[in-house]
Amino acid sequence: MSRADLAAGKVIRMSILFRIQHLLLTVLLTVLAITGFALMYHENSLAQWIIRLEGGVHNRGIVHRIAAVLLMANLVYHVFYMLFSREGKPELRQLFIGRQDIDDFLQSLRYNLGVGKEYPRFGKYGFKEKFQYWGASAGIVLISFTGIMLWAEDFSMAFFPKIVLDLAIIIHGYQGLLGFVLLYLWHIYNVHLHPSVFPMNPSWITGKVSAEWLRREHPLEYEKLKEEGLL
Amino acid sequence: MNRMIRHYLAAVLAAAVLFSAGLASGAAPGVDECMDCHGDKTIEKSLPNGKTLSLYVDLQAYRSSVHGKDSCVTCHADAKAPHEKLKKVSCGKCHGDAEKSYAMSSHGILRAKGVTDVPACYDCHGKHDIRKAQDPAARTFRLNIVATCLRCHKDQAIERKYNLPDQKAMVAYEQSVHGMASKKAGLTGSAVCVDCHGNHAILPGDQPRSATNRQKIPTMCGKCHPGILEKYEKSVHGKGMRAGIAESPVCTDCHGEHTIARVSDPSSSVSSRNIPKTCSGCHDKEGISTRYALPKKRFSSYMDSFHGIAVEYGMTKAANCSSCHGVHEILQSSDPASTVNKANLPKTCGKCHPNAGPNFAKGDVHVEISPSKAMGVFAVRLFYTIFIGALAILFALHVGLELYGRWNRRKEKTPGGKEGQS
Repeated sequence: MSRADLAAGKVIRMSILFRIQHLLLTVLLTVLAITGFALMYHENSLAQWIIRLEGGVHNRGIVHRIAAVLLMANLVYHVFYMLFSREGKPELRQLFIGRQDIDDFLQSLRYNLGVGKEYPRFGKYGFKEKFQYWGASAGIVLISFTGIMLWAEDFSMAFFPKIVLDLAIIIHGYQGLLGFVLLYLWHIYNVHLHPSVFPMNPSWITGKVSAEWLRREHPLEYEKLKEEGLL
Repeated sequence: MNRMIRHYLAAVLAAAVLFSAGLASGAAPGVDECMDCHGDKTIEKSLPNGKTLSLYVDLQAYRSSVHGKDSCVTCHADAKAPHEKLKKVSCGKCHGDAEKSYAMSSHGILRAKGVTDVPACYDCHGKHDIRKAQDPAARTFRLNIVATCLRCHKDQAIERKYNLPDQKAMVAYEQSVHGMASKKAGLTGSAVCVDCHGNHAILPGDQPRSATNRQKIPTMCGKCHPGILEKYEKSVHGKGMRAGIAESPVCTDCHGEHTIARVSDPSSSVSSRNIPKTCSGCHDKEGISTRYALPKKRFSSYMDSFHGIAVEYGMTKAANCSSCHGVHEILQSSDPASTVNKANLPKTCGKCHPNAGPNFAKGDVHVEISPSKAMGVFAVRLFYTIFIGALAILFALHVGLELYGRWNRRKEKTPGGKEGQS
């Protein structure tokens, strides 16, 4: 953290590499959603318009698969980065879900209902972020496997009965819908609409958040940085 | 010398016989005598409605007609020279069979009632210039038939008066595979009006005696397409039709009538793009599925598949109904010879997907998603629907709760809480 940042009361929350991964994820998921849902809801006139815009079902598939390959590459890179890099390893440790997260969640419920006295004190990642992270990761892994099965349909046919491919289509599509719901109802709320960040948490672009915000939303992380003399 | 005299005498005698015959039949003039008056191009008669009728006869055309070797009185038996109005010519005197079947036709029945704008013999065959149907100059020559029929059947006034099918249906024939073959390619083997509708005995298709009656259509098309008829007769549709099941499809139900086009023509009702719509005309009907105990949702389950979507967006390579079920030879899946019989599925799928073996072919293909038909897919879909729905509700509740909490504490200022900003 530079002197200027400290003077301005800013704290780095997302390094440039994480921001690139996040931006890729944003763009690719949007492309995949547009091309994918157009096929899933092909009888809808808006979907038909989109398919025509994409140059027919054949070209739609090509666009979808290019985005999918990039997304999977992004995921693989991310896994390696989290497992082996100096920056990734501690991040991963902070993302593990533990007993504490369930307690935090229940405490937040009590607090909001007016029963509990204190709001849970989060580290760098609270239960909201952890749920989001693991939910999205599991979803992408599942959707990648079913997607590859369907892409290599001739290969799959040699090993699986048709019912497996039928299920793969259903899982692929509904997992996409699930991800979409998660993204829009949960993530957009947390990073855009939540009163503490509205209209936007700027960290996905600038990488930085204000020290004051960190103190309020992630007090444990704030105190840790303070102890380490980084603030 | 002697011989010459004999010849001379014979000639005189013959002339005398001919002359006396001519005199004796003063009531039956020869062609030349008739032509004395009727060879005059200006000869005409005034009609009561103020119009005039030309009485000119083109001798040349008559001589080259099929009756050219006969004489005028063969048909106009009451003709003298000169004569008043003659009786109507009766073609049936010689052409009894044709007259009989004509009398039973729509044209004949109306004509007998005194309607004059329906065709009589001469409207199609001509009058003095009648030629054999095999003669390319004949009105009834195969390549001229369409023009002959369309003289009236393209006329909107006639269409309306007799409540005939829209003239578009007639004109569509000219664009059909049959119409193009006869008109553009000049093929005499292609079907023209009379091949399907018959000639003298023409009747509307809803009458049992009509050549175009439903029950007769397969046999009628089979006259020219015998190989296809043979396959059709063995198919579930053909057998049903022969068993008297009226809703079993005949040729025209899939191919159309006047609009019949090649499979490769995108506008054809049997083109790869249109075939799902054509089949679903029956197979998407609740009644058909119930009556013949067929699985339901055949059409929508196909249209939701990769094949269906691809075909819908013009990828003709993707499988349509006939790619798997066959065309004229469609059989029930329970029939061991059916292309969609369980035992034959690997081969049928294998046409496009070489890896699709017996293992792949287990289970049902494009069935309704219901617990009895597709339990796995049904369960997974139900799980996701409930899960996504529940998740959305829980998210909404959580957001609501958080906003509710903040609203309650909007006045407090607890350290470390979230109340600083709102």
